Amino acid sequence: MTEKTIAHTDLETFLDRLRAAGVVYAPAEDEAGDVALTEVSPTEPVVLEYSNFHLSPKGFFLPQNQTLLCFKDGKAAEPSPPDQETFLFGVRPCDARALLALDQVFLDGEQSDPYYARLRATTTVIALACTRPMPSCFCTSVGGGPGDGAGADILAVGLEADLLLRAQSPKGEDLLSSVADLLADVPCGAVERAEERVRVAEEQIAPVRVDNSAQRLRDAYDSPLWEAASQKCLACGTCSFLCPTCHCFDITDEARGSRGRRVRTWDCCAYPLFTLHASGHNPRPTPKERWRQRIMHKFRYAVENLDRLFCVGCGRCIRNCPVSMDLRSVLKEVGA
Amino acid sequence: MTPSHEIETRLRETAEQLLREKRVDLFLGYEKASLPFRTTPLFLTCPQEVERLAWNPFCAANLAVYLPRLFKAPADARQAKDAPPPPTVGVVLKGCDTRSVVALIQERQVPRDKLVLVGVACPGMVDRRKAERALGEHVALGAGEDAQGNVHAVVEDGTEVALPREQILASACLECRSPTPSIHDALLGEPVEAKDPQAARRQTAEFGAKALAARWAHLRQTLSKCIRCNACRQACPMCYCKECLLDQTRPRWLGAGTDISDVTIYHLVRACHMAGRCTECGACVRACPMGIDTRLLVRKLNQEVEDLYGYRPGEAIDATPPLSAFAMDDPQDFLTEP
Amino acid sequence: MSQTQTVQEAAPGKEWEPKIVAFLCNWCSYAGADLAGVSRIQYPHNVRVIRVPCSGRINPAFLLRALQNGADGVLVSGCHPGDCHYITGNLVARRKFALLKELVQYAGIEPQRVQFSWVSASEGGRFAGIVEKVVEEVRKLGPNQKLVKTL
Repeated sequence: MTEKTIAHTDLETFLDRLRAAGVVYAPAEDEAGDVALTEVSPTEPVVLEYSNFHLSPKGFFLPQNQTLLCFKDGKAAEPSPPDQETFLFGVRPCDARALLALDQVFLDGEQSDPYYARLRATTTVIALACTRPMPSCFCTSVGGGPGDGAGADILAVGLEADLLLRAQSPKGEDLLSSVADLLADVPCGAVERAEERVRVAEEQIAPVRVDNSAQRLRDAYDSPLWEAASQKCLACGTCSFLCPTCHCFDITDEARGSRGRRVRTWDCCAYPLFTLHASGHNPRPTPKERWRQRIMHKFRYAVENLDRLFCVGCGRCIRNCPVSMDLRSVLKEVGA
Repeated sequence: MTPSHEIETRLRETAEQLLREKRVDLFLGYEKASLPFRTTPLFLTCPQEVERLAWNPFCAANLAVYLPRLFKAPADARQAKDAPPPPTVGVVLKGCDTRSVVALIQERQVPRDKLVLVGVACPGMVDRRKAERALGEHVALGAGEDAQGNVHAVVEDGTEVALPREQILASACLECRSPTPSIHDALLGEPVEAKDPQAARRQTAEFGAKALAARWAHLRQTLSKCIRCNACRQACPMCYCKECLLDQTRPRWLGAGTDISDVTIYHLVRACHMAGRCTECGACVRACPMGIDTRLLVRKLNQEVEDLYGYRPGEAIDATPPLSAFAMDDPQDFLTEP
Repeated sequence: MSQTQTVQEAAPGKEWEPKIVAFLCNWCSYAGADLAGVSRIQYPHNVRVIRVPCSGRINPAFLLRALQNGADGVLVSGCHPGDCHYITGNLVARRKFALLKELVQYAGIEPQRVQFSWVSASEGGRFAGIVEKVVEEVRKLGPNQKLVKTL
């Protein structure tokens, strides 16, 4: 894996090179004062001091609103996709890691989702290691970490005067080669300094009990804890929509006469109508079944079926739940 | 203003007595959450656990939203035979929450005689997003209240940051006209006066004074952030329909995605359905993950209902909701004449 | 992050004419419109009629959906207060319509695009006059661009 450094002062030039090749999204302050992945113009300052973005980057691969095909007078046509490369700079390691989970769902051999595949192939993810974890972060307990590059094409770690860049994929290798003139060899001690920064961040993250979650959840299926834990849930959809690994979707046709389009939109398993059958039967009739399913999917079914936890510990669900539900307390209670 | 810890003590005593004497089966309140500036709802059934109940500047959620589901009627006669009797529920309610309960009682969603309303005169609750933003670069690890009702946050480097309450109150609280519950079975805390009863009117007047095109532009800009998660609807105590019109598929009234036309109509229709029913508690704003001011349109409609029909939601239990009623001389100057 | 595509519609060669969707209550307004037809009273062809049992049946969502589907204006017409076939339908509707008119205007949509009237079964001429007025007012506003959804 190629490792190089780039001076902070050369970062803008680097982004300009990327702009010449496609669209660049980098962290910048929005009108509300939050840092978000925005299509920064060359004059806009890129922010490197932030915890994480409000929205996860999953929308770049699985948009909230995506036209799958258009139809008119009995003929259907797939929309011509914009033929552009996209570069995401500053994605946090937890969100990059989440892409591996989405890859397992959508890039499944014969059943590959071409819409997802196209976006994944034309997007380059440059992750930026964390230095300021939040009280709601728990990436280290679910297989990740503030300096983990899994799922990204390049991992960047901020140092005093420069950024350490490590290629994580062939695409990352190619990108580093293409800007080789902006990069320098890694100076002595830089890797150790980077590792130290990551370690300092790791120490701030409180551990969460996730060990053997599949077995513990299997044993706890009929536990009364689900009823108690789910009572507060409003089925508002915030957790699913903000979660970087949640991927359930709905497909609807929007038609006017003989003309229309087929659209894919995000859906949420907490919604009461999510599993409503045409017969009127609903196998998950109350918040208890739905909340239990949510935890089971992420910490048991995904582990059993895909050998992966479908939670990256980003903490968005905990921070944004309007009634402050916290799945960490449920995990603690399961099999306690 | 009665200090929060005094109210908290009395609240725990009240709840303990209600549960121990079996005058309620369930007591709904707030308890400490895992993150600062927040509380989480508590469904208490055991009198020994009343120490979990909290009362502080972060008790923002409108607990009335949980009531309709606790009193849901059985689906059919067969289910009705096996169904347990409805519970008696004690619930902590601020001024706005109480008005939601009154509106729910009017609409026959909850029975008054199965409720024990523990009202608390409310000085306004903290908007956790405003508090977090006020800390700037810092991240809060914990937060508490001082004797004056101001908030103190402990941040990541161990230092304490003082946050004056006025600066971080929720916008709904800044406009509140009914801080003291109008109906209650017990009232905790000295009654509180509305700080700025004209605030809401000023907001609508300011928006209304803009040119038509400017209003439209502002609305579109605000709504362009909407991701159609439905959190605003789910958090609202008055949205209790089993199937929302806007989710219906046969026929499909509204597209499911974020097409700006669909988003705009979603919010316009919600505003229509809330007219004269919304008690402006701000639960929708609090729930919205995108920080949209979901009260923008309903605030105006509520004022129209007040001006045209002399009705304010949630004040009188035996009043008829305004859109189920009429007067022969209702204003009709909006009509088209040839 | 939205990736919707639009299905392009061939531009019509004709000049734009306003499309008005009129929701008429069966007992009074629809009958009044019928009377206008039978009496050979001429009125603009721009109106498309949807018959409803009562003006009280109208949910604001219907009117907004009509605008979303490309109508340039909507008209709702019912019986005069006191004459409703269902006694009170139009009286309850009157409140809904007053509020909807305020809402639409507050939101920044031209209020003339959403109009309400009372027309009785014997008022064929009145119906024609109202339609003429609505069509002219909407014509002056131009095509509806604010709520329309382009598929």
